[in-house]
Amino acid sequence: MSLVSTNEVPGPTITLGGVIRAVGFIGLGAIGVTVGLSDVLARAPADAVDYGPPLMAPSVHFPLGTDVLGRDMASETLHALAVTVTNAGIAAIVVVVAGGLAGFIAARLPYRIGFLLRGIGGILGAVPALLLAILFIGLANRGLAPFAAGLAAAPLGFVRAFDRARALGQSRHAEFARATGISPGALLRRDLTYEFRDSFLSIATRALAAVTIVLSTVSFFGYGATPPHRDLGLMIAAARDVYFDAWWTAAIPAIALALFVLCARLAAGLDEGERA
Amino acid sequence: MSEHLLTVTELTVTRPGAKRPELDRLSLAVDAGETLVILGEAGCGKEALMRVLAGAPDRDEIVDGTLQFGSASPERAVKFPKPAIRMSYLPGPFEQPLNLHVSALSQLTRIIARKLDAPRASAQEELGLALGRLSGAPKPADLDRPPLSLSPEIQAWGLFAAAFAQNPELLLADHSLAGLAPGHARALTRALLAEQARLGFAILYAAMNAETPAWLKGRLIVMRHGKIVEEGPAERLATTQAHSYTQTLFKAQPAPLNDKPRASTRGQPVIQAYRIEMAKPSPKRMRDDLTFELRRGAALALIGDEGSGRHTLARILLGLDRAPAGRIVFDAVDIGVLARNMMARLRRRVAFVAGADDMLDPRMTIWDTVAEPLRTHLDLPRHVTASYRDVALKRVGLASLAGNRSVATLSAFDKRRLQVARAIVSAPVLAVIDEPLRGLDAFAQAVMRDLLKNFRTHEGPAFLVITSDIMVAQSLAEDAMIMKDGRVIERGSLADILRAPKAAYTLSLIEASAPVKNSALPPAVPQG
Repeated sequence: MSLVSTNEVPGPTITLGGVIRAVGFIGLGAIGVTVGLSDVLARAPADAVDYGPPLMAPSVHFPLGTDVLGRDMASETLHALAVTVTNAGIAAIVVVVAGGLAGFIAARLPYRIGFLLRGIGGILGAVPALLLAILFIGLANRGLAPFAAGLAAAPLGFVRAFDRARALGQSRHAEFARATGISPGALLRRDLTYEFRDSFLSIATRALAAVTIVLSTVSFFGYGATPPHRDLGLMIAAARDVYFDAWWTAAIPAIALALFVLCARLAAGLDEGERA
Repeated sequence: MSEHLLTVTELTVTRPGAKRPELDRLSLAVDAGETLVILGEAGCGKEALMRVLAGAPDRDEIVDGTLQFGSASPERAVKFPKPAIRMSYLPGPFEQPLNLHVSALSQLTRIIARKLDAPRASAQEELGLALGRLSGAPKPADLDRPPLSLSPEIQAWGLFAAAFAQNPELLLADHSLAGLAPGHARALTRALLAEQARLGFAILYAAMNAETPAWLKGRLIVMRHGKIVEEGPAERLATTQAHSYTQTLFKAQPAPLNDKPRASTRGQPVIQAYRIEMAKPSPKRMRDDLTFELRRGAALALIGDEGSGRHTLARILLGLDRAPAGRIVFDAVDIGVLARNMMARLRRRVAFVAGADDMLDPRMTIWDTVAEPLRTHLDLPRHVTASYRDVALKRVGLASLAGNRSVATLSAFDKRRLQVARAIVSAPVLAVIDEPLRGLDAFAQAVMRDLLKNFRTHEGPAFLVITSDIMVAQSLAEDAMIMKDGRVIERGSLADILRAPKAAYTLSLIEASAPVKNSALPPAVPQG
């Protein structure tokens, strides 16, 4: 134990967790670039049927083959990935706002109201997010699937943020601040600033992984994306009848989906978080 | 073959990139039954020596040299050496050596069981016997709670008993008494010396102020920058020091002041308490009828042990808790009629400097920590806030640290100074100073005392000092209330109280805080 600090800020140390997160972010960055350039990289427009012969195996001309309607699997996967990533991004923002941010604010509400909200969050969190998402889509409409998925995945984040905010509110340093007249608003600002500055990326990427699975499953069941804006879940669903004869029709979008979710999970440091 | 119990030869501990080694070719020997105290400021090398001997050097430390335990052959000082003697490690409770959320009794029992290779039930009996032998120690049942809900003093008794129960040949005491209330520290010292006489173990004690060697006597080694600068009997070095560093170290100890009593009537009243009563967590509550006032520029010390009611009274005075009866006027406002948000507004003129290291938000930066009161209470331009912040940091000697550094990376001493900087920018009418020197080495204590005095002189707030150490109270306040069991048992000018204490408890506090030159350990004073 040294009582005198050195004048140097302790430098960042390379840890296994840090390496895992870096790999995840590099992967997400690469996917982001691919999505941004999807219209350029895809040689066929979205949902272009009869672009090639139906169910053609991967070949030189069609590197990822074609599906039952003769659509180029490589182009379709790129377009579907763009839709999936965009929708998951929107849903992840909803999770951060309706989960993390709302949880922090709810913890500062009067005791009874706060704990009532936490109880509701806990009950909703106990229901599988997929079922909640389907319920919310039914109550709204399919066009709002990203918001529904975000709201469905938010309760666990809400509860987690609520408990963290309560613990922070009862800490010695918060008591010390209150005893010197620091207002609850200033304390909330302090908590939000430091909690979200330090863990925003972790919360967002954790949410991204969770909502991607929810959104893709919802689409797989036919409640999510609609053609021509097909996402990866809908692509896998469309390959159901021919999968055992033409493996690439489902395997290619499934691999793309798995890679995206894996990168998000790695970026979150393999934190389980709001698992769908 | 060595005749010593422990022989350390040419021990060097370095960290990559460090300017100098933590231990620089240190050689020393400890004989059976001997007491050897290693004294020095934080970072002098004693911590590194303790880590190596305990078999747990830090991961990035490079250790070189040899250790010889008893008659065994010398071995290279690598990680986790298997000593050929029975050795116990005795940390201080403020180091938080136990899991805070698991029963202390269970953890101590497990440690003893592992060291003695005995069943848990047998280990618990050993612990119970050890506690029973220590005069003033709590019962085993009192330790059957998580350390979080135990006072540091109770934890210390448990740690001491657990160390003795291991029947050691060598006791590695790593700042074991640091930060404890003087009365408890002396009682533990008595227990330590009594057990040493009974079991005949040697003590290697790492100390950061000169009080401990004066109590323990034995041999004293003074270390600086990883080297021994002076060595000799503790009793001789307490009065005659050859090396200038040793002289400075001993001078940094608080000395009794012989000031005449000063009146506490200075500026406008900050706190006026009329016939207040303090709630006590026992069914029967005695009437206190406490009436007093604290004026701006004056200083009042609330002196007593943990659980004496000092914090309860302070919380009542600050309006954090309501008194069952009585009236408190804070800065000319009756806080009994104030709404919560208005009370919070009034408390903007209160500053805290406390001995606990978790009083500052560890996530915040140095700059944010100091500037927060200015930003939230005043609408000042950013450059003005920055200027006040920089001046305060300069005054406490933290201006050289990077402002974006987080509080979590600071040392205990720096965190303490940061609290003073935050207090300075708040321009308070009242500063609550709660055990400000706890856990600091002698130099750091001297610096903190000077900073607080300087703060009081320049900003002129009223000081409400909460401490168990009369020497600390004397250096920061003129008036005092001696508290015990939730009641004020003696009050008045601190100089008068020191000159003629009326209660036996006050006398015991004074004797427990006696300066180094009265180094003989006084006999136990009956409580009450």
